[in-house]
Amino acid sequence: MNPKFDLCVIGAGPGGYVCAIRAAQHGLKTVIIEREHYGGVCLNVGCIPSKAMISASHFFHRAKYDAAAMGMKIKDIELDMATLQKWKQGVSDRMAGGVELLLKGNKVTAIKGEASFTNATEISVKSSTGIQTISAKHFVIATGSRPIEIPGFNFDEKTVMSSTGALALIELPKTLVVIGGGYIGLEISTYLAKLGTKVTVVEATSNLLSGLIEKDGVAVVSRKLTKLGVEVLLNAKAKSYKKEKSDVEVTLEENGKERKIQAEKILVTVGRIPNSDQLNLKGIGLQLDERGFIKVNPQRKTNLHNIFAVGDIAGQPMLAHKASFEGVLVADVISGENRVFDVKTVPAIIFTDPEIAMVGMTEEECKARGHNELKVGKFPFAANGKAVSLMETDGFVKIIADAKTEIVLGILIVGPEASNLISEAALALEMGATLEDIALTIHPHPTLGETMMEASEAALGHAIHIIQKPLTSTSRPGVTA
Amino acid sequence: MATKDIVLPDIGEGVTEGEVVKWLVKPGDMVKEDQPVVEIMTDKATVEVPSPFTGSVKEFRCKEGDIVPIGKPLMVIELGSDSKTAAPLTAAPRAPAPAPSPTQVMVAPNIMAAASSGGLEVYPPVAESSVLATPATRRLAREMKIDVNKLTGTGNGGRVTREDVLKSLNATFSAPAAVSKGITAPAYVTSGKGAEERVPFRGIRRKIAESLQMAKHIIPHFTLMDEANVTQLVEMRTQLKPLADKQGIKITYLPFVIKALIATIREYPMFSASIDDQSSEIVYKKYFNIGFAADTPNGLLVPVIKDADKKTIYQISREIVELATKARDGKLALEDMRGATITITNIGSVGGTYATPIINHPEVAILGMYKITDKPVIIGSDWHPAKFMNFTITADHRLIDGAVAANFLKAFLNRIENPSLLMLDMM
Repeated sequence: MNPKFDLCVIGAGPGGYVCAIRAAQHGLKTVIIEREHYGGVCLNVGCIPSKAMISASHFFHRAKYDAAAMGMKIKDIELDMATLQKWKQGVSDRMAGGVELLLKGNKVTAIKGEASFTNATEISVKSSTGIQTISAKHFVIATGSRPIEIPGFNFDEKTVMSSTGALALIELPKTLVVIGGGYIGLEISTYLAKLGTKVTVVEATSNLLSGLIEKDGVAVVSRKLTKLGVEVLLNAKAKSYKKEKSDVEVTLEENGKERKIQAEKILVTVGRIPNSDQLNLKGIGLQLDERGFIKVNPQRKTNLHNIFAVGDIAGQPMLAHKASFEGVLVADVISGENRVFDVKTVPAIIFTDPEIAMVGMTEEECKARGHNELKVGKFPFAANGKAVSLMETDGFVKIIADAKTEIVLGILIVGPEASNLISEAALALEMGATLEDIALTIHPHPTLGETMMEASEAALGHAIHIIQKPLTSTSRPGVTA
Repeated sequence: MATKDIVLPDIGEGVTEGEVVKWLVKPGDMVKEDQPVVEIMTDKATVEVPSPFTGSVKEFRCKEGDIVPIGKPLMVIELGSDSKTAAPLTAAPRAPAPAPSPTQVMVAPNIMAAASSGGLEVYPPVAESSVLATPATRRLAREMKIDVNKLTGTGNGGRVTREDVLKSLNATFSAPAAVSKGITAPAYVTSGKGAEERVPFRGIRRKIAESLQMAKHIIPHFTLMDEANVTQLVEMRTQLKPLADKQGIKITYLPFVIKALIATIREYPMFSASIDDQSSEIVYKKYFNIGFAADTPNGLLVPVIKDADKKTIYQISREIVELATKARDGKLALEDMRGATITITNIGSVGGTYATPIINHPEVAILGMYKITDKPVIIGSDWHPAKFMNFTITADHRLIDGAVAANFLKAFLNRIENPSLLMLDMM
């Protein structure tokens, strides 16, 4: 059987499945190939299960430590890791099942199997039932990325784990060494620490979070990590490890000196690489860049005109919501619409404690782009009623705007529910909002969202709930949290 | 052996058809993939169309001079046996593919045809991060094939509004349909006994003829002439010339004229406006793209210096040389000749004291500059030698009254005669 499809999507992650559904909505005869799980890394071994673990650990930690202050005496609170694991799996399965139903409901043909290009209009799919050939007018490659392995630390997912292994732990390790202080490493470190693991983070550079987040933001998270008992070693390189009875001994080089750390397990989170070495992409002449991403144009078209690429494999930032946006865009383009990837910002979120979320540029980036004079407003969650009542007062909202036009250029939120607050910031950037646009929008009370309005007011020099110096036209009205 | 058509590819923005100017191969010739096989003329630019396949030319599907719509076959290629594009046409049902290896890779020819005809660029270009327009407005502009980067926003802080986008579509002018089908020109009947030669009237020449005819049909022209004492300007240029030479830049009078013209248009914006006959609206443009007439072996071309108000004399000088060279070598891209808001012709530098140029529709004015002559002037009771240059302004009388044109020319000449005034206009 060799059915001809209008579109064949390879990979059913947040880029691929979204693309397939939109294509089907356009009336294209669409097939999607998935080798593992519907929903991809995101729903099965990434965003969703990690959020389940994070919310559970947060709940556990608060019950254990914060509840007493609110007058609740909880005795002998205990963690049953196996049940937690089962619940987490339930969350993932429910979401992934939803994807399968949506594909079916939109009449997308879904095939489980491993795809490989035979030529630019045909793939072979190897599955449990044999090999079949599928030809299509258009292809969308959405096969994502995988964790990077480093020499000397091969993943066995038992002793040396990637994020996938860490999410599947059915016993809580007493001690853990995390190699790599990027966002995935810190998210897992935080939730395991809250559940009771003694975590040591080993970061090769002098900054946590790849230096992408402004220092004042990282500082808030660093302080909290220390409070949670996480030890952070900067400028430290993991060299090797050896097994010792039930434990491992990791050898590091910290600021030039050797150091050994004992731990039960090792988690390696040093980044992800695109899966572009698969699918015979090079064989059909598809061009990759020097980092292994597929080269695409603003319509996410590759050098072969009937083949598109979306998501992690099509370039940074490797984020599910970018992938989904591209998936929809490409489906629209294939069905004849003229669309391009022209967003002003891709919001980035880190689910540490507190959460970090940002859109647009940092102060430094603004200056590099020629915005020499900025208005910066910062408002602490400690001055927000809702945050205080949540007992989550760490962090701030920082709004950066061009001093002349007052158009908002970047927003950084470090604090409770930063992930849920950032969408307003993203909308502000896309709409080209000014500080006053945000300040003059009524933000309901009492909510965490009020901080956005107050930070805008602070940038304009007259926030209500913090003390600001009398406004002068040249002063930078930022304040420190 | 399999054959494939080479079709006229989509050459770029808005082009729907092209004229076959010249075959670059003949039947029987072997062609390689990407080898140019035919010259196609669209609008004012000539492009070479490459073959998407390797093989031999079997036959032509049209002849030189034909107007061919996009997607229509130009010639038939008999595919070469060694071509990697040859096989998949006969994609007969085959056994399940074994693990693919690079050697058995084939690229479908219909796809490569598209690939070789255009790169990965998109039109309109992606909105720059500095453009203030909401996502929905950006999308609307794209769907309407409008480059949002080029729009001047009327909203708060230069925001491009939905209305700005909608209005700019009306500014995509087209001549009233009736005009092109006016009087039928009579056939030429020979009257002489001498030798005559018939040459096909096509290519750039025909396009020039069509657009000039349209301009004369639509626009009621009038021309105003005056002379300017350019002694100071000549001195200034003489001073600057060695400095520019050191930088390897040939500096002419044209950049100064451009600057004086822009400063004067700021006072009289209707000189770079357009009339949209379809919607009965006057379109005022807030950008300054200056066209300059360039004489080329193929005929008159008008390359455009975009955003000339934002460029220095040096930059403009360099661009003039680049564009003029491109024009002479036939390398001007369509984009190089689009979007002028007003044109300058300096054909007078060759000869003639005055001319009555034709306006480049949909522009509404054209400035003429002519040769420099020595004349005496009386200062007090003494005769002094001076340099003079003639200028003309030709305007669309529908929009511009004679008195306005006279004031415009006066303001312009004042700047030309006192080039130091240009300093005051500097931004």
